[in-house]
Amino acid sequence: MDFLNTNLLSLILFSPVAAALIIFFLPKDELKLIRWTALISSLVPFVLSLVLWFRFDPNKTGFQFEEQYIWYKAIGSSLHLGVDGLSLTMVLLTTLLTPLAILASFTISEKVKAYMMLFLFLETGMLGVFLALDLLIFFVFWEIGLVPMYFLINQWGSANRNYASLKFMIYTMGGSLGLLLATQMLGVAFGTYDLTRLFDLWPSAQALTNIPPWLTISTIKTIAFWAFVIAFAVKVPLWPFHTWLPDAHTEAPTAGSMILAGVLLKLGAYGFLRLVLPLYPEQAKYFAGALAFLATAAIVFGAFGSYGQTDFKRLVAYSSVNHMGFVVLGIAAAAAASGTTDAHIALNGAILQMFNHGLSAAGMFFLVGVIYERTHTRNLNDFGGLFPLVPVYGGILIFTSMASLGLPGLNGFVSEFLVVRGAWPILTTYTAISMLGLLFTGAYILKGIKQVLHGPLNEHWAHGEHKLTEINTREIIVMAPLMALILVIGVWPAWILDVINRAVVALF
Amino acid sequence: MATETLIWLIPLPPVLAFFLIVLFANKNKALSHTLGVGAAGLSWLASMVVFVRALSVEHLGEHPFHASVNWLPTGETWFKIGVLIDPLGAATLFFVAWTIFMIFLYSVGYHNFGQPKGDHDRPGLPPHGATVTDAHGHKHTIPSVEPMYSRFFAFLGLFAFGMYTLVVSDNLLTLFVGWEIMGLCSYLLIGFWYGKPSARNAAIKAFMTTRVGDVFMLLGIVFLYSVTGTLSFREIFTNEELMHALGTTATPVLGLSAAGLIGLLLFIGTVGKSAQWPLHVWLPDAMEGPTPVSAMIHAATMVSAGVYAVIRMFPLLSLDPATMSIVAFIGAFTALFAATIAVAQNDIKRVLAYSTISQLGYMIAALGIGAYVAAAFHLITHAFFKALLFLGSGSVIHGMEHGVLHTGNHHVDPQDMFNMGGLRKKMPITFWTFLIGGFALAGFPVVTAGFWSKDEILADAFAHGHLAVFITLAVAAFLTAFYTMRQITLTFLGEPRTEEAKHAQETPWTMTVPLIVLSVFAVTYGWVGIPEHFPLLGGLVPNWFHEFVGSTLAEHPEAVPFSPVPLLTSLGVALGGLLLGWLVYRNVKSPAEDKLQLPVLKNKWYFDEAYDFLFVKPAYWIAETLVYKWMDKGVLDGILHFIAHITGVIGAAIRNYIDLRVINETIGDGTANTVKWMGFNLRPVQTGRIQQYMLASFVVLIVVGAVLYYFLVMA
Amino acid sequence: MIPLSWYLVLSALLFSIGLFGVLARRNAVAILLGIELMLNAVNINLASFWRYGNPAQMGGQVFAIVVFAVAAAEVAVGLALIISIYRRRKTVLAEEIDLMKW
Repeated sequence: MDFLNTNLLSLILFSPVAAALIIFFLPKDELKLIRWTALISSLVPFVLSLVLWFRFDPNKTGFQFEEQYIWYKAIGSSLHLGVDGLSLTMVLLTTLLTPLAILASFTISEKVKAYMMLFLFLETGMLGVFLALDLLIFFVFWEIGLVPMYFLINQWGSANRNYASLKFMIYTMGGSLGLLLATQMLGVAFGTYDLTRLFDLWPSAQALTNIPPWLTISTIKTIAFWAFVIAFAVKVPLWPFHTWLPDAHTEAPTAGSMILAGVLLKLGAYGFLRLVLPLYPEQAKYFAGALAFLATAAIVFGAFGSYGQTDFKRLVAYSSVNHMGFVVLGIAAAAAASGTTDAHIALNGAILQMFNHGLSAAGMFFLVGVIYERTHTRNLNDFGGLFPLVPVYGGILIFTSMASLGLPGLNGFVSEFLVVRGAWPILTTYTAISMLGLLFTGAYILKGIKQVLHGPLNEHWAHGEHKLTEINTREIIVMAPLMALILVIGVWPAWILDVINRAVVALF
Repeated sequence: MATETLIWLIPLPPVLAFFLIVLFANKNKALSHTLGVGAAGLSWLASMVVFVRALSVEHLGEHPFHASVNWLPTGETWFKIGVLIDPLGAATLFFVAWTIFMIFLYSVGYHNFGQPKGDHDRPGLPPHGATVTDAHGHKHTIPSVEPMYSRFFAFLGLFAFGMYTLVVSDNLLTLFVGWEIMGLCSYLLIGFWYGKPSARNAAIKAFMTTRVGDVFMLLGIVFLYSVTGTLSFREIFTNEELMHALGTTATPVLGLSAAGLIGLLLFIGTVGKSAQWPLHVWLPDAMEGPTPVSAMIHAATMVSAGVYAVIRMFPLLSLDPATMSIVAFIGAFTALFAATIAVAQNDIKRVLAYSTISQLGYMIAALGIGAYVAAAFHLITHAFFKALLFLGSGSVIHGMEHGVLHTGNHHVDPQDMFNMGGLRKKMPITFWTFLIGGFALAGFPVVTAGFWSKDEILADAFAHGHLAVFITLAVAAFLTAFYTMRQITLTFLGEPRTEEAKHAQETPWTMTVPLIVLSVFAVTYGWVGIPEHFPLLGGLVPNWFHEFVGSTLAEHPEAVPFSPVPLLTSLGVALGGLLLGWLVYRNVKSPAEDKLQLPVLKNKWYFDEAYDFLFVKPAYWIAETLVYKWMDKGVLDGILHFIAHITGVIGAAIRNYIDLRVINETIGDGTANTVKWMGFNLRPVQTGRIQQYMLASFVVLIVVGAVLYYFLVMA
Repeated sequence: MIPLSWYLVLSALLFSIGLFGVLARRNAVAILLGIELMLNAVNINLASFWRYGNPAQMGGQVFAIVVFAVAAAEVAVGLALIISIYRRRKTVLAEEIDLMKW
């Protein structure tokens, strides 16, 4: 048991890689065996993170289950892992969504082995970002996550996948160039990449030895701040850096979209919370208005963009822009007034919104995938009146859509309310404008339901070879945990929000 | 059981029924309605117990039933949610429980439980009837059971949950939760027959229009929470210092105080939910839903909820006279405006829909002039008689559908009043209960509940000098009486105008019993609020309602002194309107003979068209063209593709002009070429003749030796 | 006693004759003869430097004998090559033996 306590994080982090290695040695024609191995082995990190969740002590401040291994001694970088209430929720989300995504991809029949291995590598990449307490390790995992995703879109995607995967890869890599530079600058300046130390050293640094003399420390900090912000803003994605997302989401395979929306976007927001706010409190406060502007633009234009779609998956993709805008709005509010109760409420909302969006967006993408697999079209105008054919699917779709819409009683409302509540006294105008986005959230969600389920039945899907079949048991099993969590968090959010709240109060 | 525990439990049975029906009972119609009606019955029972206990508590206003739990952690503190039953809550709970229970019961009959499955019915469309063969071999078409019977009860259960949650909430947030859940249910129920494009669009219209109000309301809630740190009604209203601060803090918007702005934002939510002008457009379209839904939405729950919320927030609103003026204006304007439209409608349910908007305007106007108790009183009496009217109209439609199935002529609209006439003989129970409801709506003096509540509003308006409001409401009341009598005359009086009306039939007991129960309340509920100074009747029964509900407020409102002007006015407009309605319409046979079918009224003052032009079309344009096509695809992706293109051009330039020219040709190939050229030219030296080589080396040796000798020895 | 320089002059003359033969003659056999002359000029040098230098040491004589041996071996191989070439190509003229020239 002691072993488990001291090595829990590395077990969670590397067990997907181990699973991928096992799959590597499986014969490539045994599809069933590969799928089940992937599924069962992806449950291992989930079980471990449940252990982590229950052993985690929310009353303690600071990081827990810390581990530190030598990695690159010469430049002062070490494999330093640790969790607090902030990363814990994200780890839980990641390890929960990965098995579901793998279960969702049981219909993949080409190159299954490579697919499953890439998925497991992806999981390690994402977990690494959430667990890293070392800036360089953070960056390494940040980039590692891109590669499997690129191949997932590029190899298993739909028609326009080359364009989409390239755009995704180049955009996110290009965005993080500044992050790499700024990371190196910090590492060189302080001889360490350890975040726990940088949190103390960097914000209070008054002079740096190795910068050109014509630059003041505040200029340097401002440049580095924007380098960080742009890297994370591309990933979130914030307006106007969001155009890669609809393409990537639309072309990615179903499970890829689930993970992309469910977890990958959270990496950006997590970067804001873990790095930008603690490392650049002054700059964040100074530029909070700009961040809030971008967030509000993401909320409003995301909603409008979503409303303007005829492609069901693209509609859901734009909804991610809309929802993640609220996360950044909360972060901007916290940046503007850190330490106040309003900021804490806004951050509670932002972090819960990350978790909630992970659940509802993954669910929505999966549901789009379910209907796409049966009809081979995503065009909303090709559907219509499908509710009588697929009542169970329809019910699940309405439920998940309502969670996405932010219906009170389901999870999205709690987090959006908290964000709006926290941001209102700090960023009143922006919050008021963002309500326009909230209004159109309703519009696009209802548009989706209207075009797919309601209205006169499109007879094409009612008979013969095109007859639409009901959602099957495997697919219901994928949705069930998501729906249960959506409802539970909506009705009783305190169990998760308490952990978040304590971390937020301690951190910000 | 402790009363507080009981209050917690009130909303639960319907939501449990919802989940049970959805998950387990959706194939079994009998089980579904047993669960649904049973749950409504349980909630009704619990509500009655709570209501009776509330009556027995002295000074319930100061010591309401209240309990709360921690819900959301917010920094160092917790946001609490809880239940609260004060006099207003108790009175609301009473009518909500009764109407909901009746509507559940009525739905069993309305959806033809026990009838065979339809011949061509499919989910998403109203049932079309089934063909049966009787003992003599004759074929009959009879009503068929609703294909989505179970689903209806599930939605209804969720709806009831929302309303009960709203009523028992002790804070604005859970009130808003219930409010929005009802919004969802109204969407689902209006779009219940989703196969009809009209129903589908009506559902979306209802949801979106109310959502416009909701986002403002959310802002109001957030604003209130930010300045007070709590959303609990009691914590805010009993804190005098806080209330004073709210009333005096200025905001940059319209010169309102903080309280005024919050009140206004919350009020916009009500404007959406209670279908006040200018957000009234959704409510008439909501008639696409099955009739019990209309009753749920229009009487018992959703629209009442809007007014209830404003009554709840009255102490806050009343802090700012500017907000109160806005409220009064919107209410009074809506009351008159909707009444004018109602005069020209031919659909039996649409008339009621506009009358609902108009009556809600009454309540809002009453609140705007500070008549707190009168508004609450009218809310409750209206809920009873309007639920009665809607269920009655459903009964009429049901009877007419019977006639339509009998004749087989499906082109006859069973909701058009001009296809009816003379139904009093065919459907006596429906007729008498409808008459009671209609007279209550018209404010028929003394016996009906509507008279007392309406009279109180008019008296309040007159006594407090709001003459403009008084006159507007009086005119609206006249129109109300007029179109009510028009409706009754066209539907029930005279002779049947169509074959279908001749074959209409009285509806089953599950539908008539709720009508009878509600008509009892539509008459008697007025007697609990007779003003004490009313001539002859005043003082016979104590003005219980005023005392009880008035005690909700910290300062008990004074009962207004008696004045003959409003009394005579309300007598005059009610009786005059009714009489005129009967005189004008007793001989009208077809819409063409109806002089009041003015296009502007028929088309609802063209609000739908205007909104479509002003908001809906631009929204589409902004979404599809501006944001997606121009901004995202055009500008943003354009910039990206431009950068990609530029990168490509630079790459090509580097390859063509530097790599190929400089590196390859000059440096790489150039070196090789030079070496080659030199080798070629030096080739003749390589004769292969050793003797020549040796001679050359000998010469070199001599020369080198000579040079060395010169430099080393000679120098 | 004849001075050393006479021997050296003789040797130089002999070497020059040999060198001239190597450089100027076309006949491969004559070139070979020239080489022999140059080797023997060296031998004279070796022997005379021994005699006039340090007669107690036998280095010069030994070197001379080694040169004899090498010269003999060389002539043997060289003549064998020339005869072999002559049999093939019916010539011993150096400029005609140009099979490997480009």
